[in-house]
Parts: sequence; structure tokens; C-alpha cells
Amino acid sequence: MIVLRHKKTTEHVKRDFASIFLKAVGIVIFASILAFSYNNFSDRGISLKGSWSNKILSDSLIVPHSYQKGDPQAITLSEAMMEFQSSNTIFLDARLEFDYKQGHIKGALNLPYEEFDEFYPKIAPKIPKDKTILAYCDGTECELSLLLARVLRDEGYQHLKVFFGGWAEWEKAGLPIDKGENP
Amino acid sequence: MWRNLKSIINSQYTILFFRLILGGIFIYASLDKIAHPEQFAQIVYNYKILPHSLINIFTIVMPWVELICGIFVIGGIFVESSSAILSLLLVSFIIALSANFLRGLDMNCGCFSTDPQGKKEGAILLIRDFFLLAIGLQIFFGNSRFATLTSVFNRLFNKPRNSEVVRMNDA
Repeated sequence: MIVLRHKKTTEHVKRDFASIFLKAVGIVIFASILAFSYNNFSDRGISLKGSWSNKILSDSLIVPHSYQKGDPQAITLSEAMMEFQSSNTIFLDARLEFDYKQGHIKGALNLPYEEFDEFYPKIAPKIPKDKTILAYCDGTECELSLLLARVLRDEGYQHLKVFFGGWAEWEKAGLPIDKGENP
Repeated sequence: MWRNLKSIINSQYTILFFRLILGGIFIYASLDKIAHPEQFAQIVYNYKILPHSLINIFTIVMPWVELICGIFVIGGIFVESSSAILSLLLVSFIIALSANFLRGLDMNCGCFSTDPQGKKEGAILLIRDFFLLAIGLQIFFGNSRFATLTSVFNRLFNKPRNSEVVRMNDA
């Protein structure tokens, strides 16, 4: 009798995974209906299909999805090389200090976008507003250079350019590089 | 000692406590994402794991799944299914974080970086997610009906639970 009862209880405890799964599907459908309705009626709603892919401006110029009309001019590797020759252009590396120290475009100054407030006061005297400022970061997938250029535009800089090919393209092309801290 | 610990972890009060923690954290996390979908979409993009066509749909739906499951886990409605969904979400977060950890991707900016500070932040997130996953699995396997709305409804509508049937048989 005791054995029988014991068997009975274990049977009851046995769980119905199919029902758990179906309920889970139901919960996800319920949440999705709420989510799409809210997104539809909220004024902060977003489109179902965002434009996240890089934009191709020309054969040699690819820019991140967030690049908009009115943003600082995007330039190619060959244009960046020409700017490198010019004494009127200052290169700014928008990556973190650690990455800058590991390697950067020769002569570039480090102004990490993520630590702008900390670095800008130190860098500002070295970048006069009448010079051309060229911002770069890791590569096309990286937006730090664009974000940095936008902040600098708000600071009053007018001659801004962004080299989206960045460190990756520059290094690959075997162009002059340097290592170590901000000069 | 081990037996004591096991009985504490399996106690219905502990599982209720776990439900409050897990549900609370997910509800809290979901509200900010629901309020700022554009920022959240950027974060999803920065992880560089989902195909571009799925980023916005994921951004719209995922926080609501978190919110509903969080409410259900705390309130005790479909606790097993909700905790299973949250555990699966945590597993996918852990996979995404680990993949980016190995790739050296800094998720703050979505760029590749070798900065150790970013690695440290990633590691903290990973530990947190593993901790929450353990809680989620314990709720799922603990299968406690204590202080759940489901048990209240069953009682109200006079539908005795299996264990109660057995108990009545015992009597």
C-alpha cells in the first residue's frame, strides 16, 4: 500500500514538459503582441527594419549606418594620405588610450571619444580651430571617429574630416605608424 | 552540512526569494529598454551578433518578454514556463557576451579593442548572468507552488492540487 502510494506521488510530480513549452510559446506571443502594439502607438517607436548596414558612398568610401547628411566630410585612404602630407592637418585617434598606445597613425593625438571630458582640456591647446582636424578610429565598423567629430563640431571646429577606414586600413597599407603615449 | 544547504536552497521560502530577485531584476531591466528603444537598438547593434534585419524586431520584442516573464515569475503565473524563458534568455546573453569577450569586442562602442578595462566589465556581466541563470534554473526545477497566483486561483475555483489529493487520500 505504501509502495503504491509512493508510486502515485512520483507520477504526480512528473512534469508535463509539452505543456510548459506550449505555455512558454503563448507567453512569447502575448509579449510580442503587446510589444508591437506599444511600439506602434508610442511616439518613441522604431521602424521594424532599421538601416544598420554600412552605406557605400563610392567604390572606395564606405561609411557607418549612422552617417548622415551634414556630418563632417568622410574621406578615403588616399585622401587621408594626402592630408598626412599637409602640415595644416592634425590627426586625432578617437579610440581608447590602451589601443592608441599599442599603435596609431604617426603624429596622431589621442582624444578618446568615451573619455572626451577628461582628455579634451589637455588636447585642446594642441588643436587650434583654424587647422583641419582628421578623426579616425578602428575601422569602418567603428563609429567613435564620427561621434568625436560631431562633438568637436559642437565645440566650434569647422574644418573636420573623418577617415572611416581608420587604423585597420592605414596599418594594412603599411603607412607610417607609431606606438606609445600622447606626445 | 550539504544536506542542510540543499534543504535551504530547495525551501519554498528561498524559491520565493529567488523569484522576487529574478523577476525584479528583469522587470527593472526591461523598463529602461522599453522607454528608450533607439538606445537599446544601438546596444544590440554593438554586440554585432544578430543580422541587421533582426535588430529592430529583437529590440521591440525582447524587453516585453522580459517584462511579462518578470511579472509572471514574481506573481506566480506560469512560473515554470516564465523561468524557463528567462533562463534561455540568460543562456543567450552568456553566449553573446562570451563570444564578444573572445573576439575582443568592446560592447560600449561596438568596436574592437584590447583594453583590459572592457574585458573586466564583460567579466562582471558574465558572472552576474551565471548567477541569475542559477537562480532561474532553481526556480524552474524547484517547481514550488508556494505563494503563487496559480495556487490561489486553484483554491478559489476549488480545483485541488495533486499533492492535496494525495494528502486527502492519506487522511
